[in-house]
Amino acid sequence: MKIENIKFSQEASKRVYNDYMARIKKATNSLSPQNQNDIYMEFNSHIFEAIHHQKQGNEIDSLLDILEKLGTPEEVLKPLVADKKLEEATKSFNPLHIFKALILNFTNGISYIIFFVLYLLLFGFVFLIFAKIANPSQVGLFYKDTSFWVLGMTNQKPQDGVHEVLGYYFIPAMLLAIVVFYTIITLLLKLKKTINKK
Amino acid sequence: MNESFVSNWKSQIKKGTLTFIALNILKDNEYYGYELIEQIRNHTEIEVAEGTLYPLMNRLKTENLVESKWVEQETGIPRKYYSLTETGKETLVQMNAYWVDLEIAIKKIIK
Repeated sequence: MKIENIKFSQEASKRVYNDYMARIKKATNSLSPQNQNDIYMEFNSHIFEAIHHQKQGNEIDSLLDILEKLGTPEEVLKPLVADKKLEEATKSFNPLHIFKALILNFTNGISYIIFFVLYLLLFGFVFLIFAKIANPSQVGLFYKDTSFWVLGMTNQKPQDGVHEVLGYYFIPAMLLAIVVFYTIITLLLKLKKTINKK
Repeated sequence: MNESFVSNWKSQIKKGTLTFIALNILKDNEYYGYELIEQIRNHTEIEVAEGTLYPLMNRLKTENLVESKWVEQETGIPRKYYSLTETGKETLVQMNAYWVDLEIAIKKIIK
């Protein structure tokens, strides 16, 4: 659907309106173009209808009044953008979308903090692959004597009884862990959304 | 009287019942955003913080209680109309029944 802007007779009204709409665009720019347009058009429609229902008075005064009642785009759109981003993220497996959605929903409860931590762990695995390449002897899956000691980086030496067991198989092992972890997080997010709906 | 307590309590009630009110207003008619705000104001004298209605409508859509469609207008600025889905109508019946029970109980308490 074509986006049509509202026409104003006063220059000041035009400037105020353009500024407000630009702020809406900025506040929603992490969303898909379709969601951005949808929000833009709905706020545009709200302003247009409000102006036509409020015919008396100066144009700029009524516009300012309407925008004040609607609220600042950054504040008003925060929950809307967070919700829509989460919808977008769970529809795709795009890691960037999911990470953005988690940041936007970070304040929405403890469960998202758990997801956030899981996601940080995932990035930890990615980091370990590069760390293994840069510093092969101190990064890996370490055992102390016969029991599991650490997955990651350590300063302990073989003479302390600590030894690495995977060698360069550590990298494919981490890649596999990333894929598994990532799939689990996304499926958990979808599950959470389904539970929320019930 | 503790006026600030009462005013806080009132705003909590308003906030808590906004979804219920919006669904009831959409029971018999479809409305676009601005019109829905006007209807809420006219029926309940609740001053809706206008911007909060849109995130609410989006949540109701995700919950499959409400659906929306864009309708072109002669003015060139389309309107987005909201209406209840079948699930929304069934859900509202349950919500209304609960409200009636609650009202009876509260009336007994405050008499």
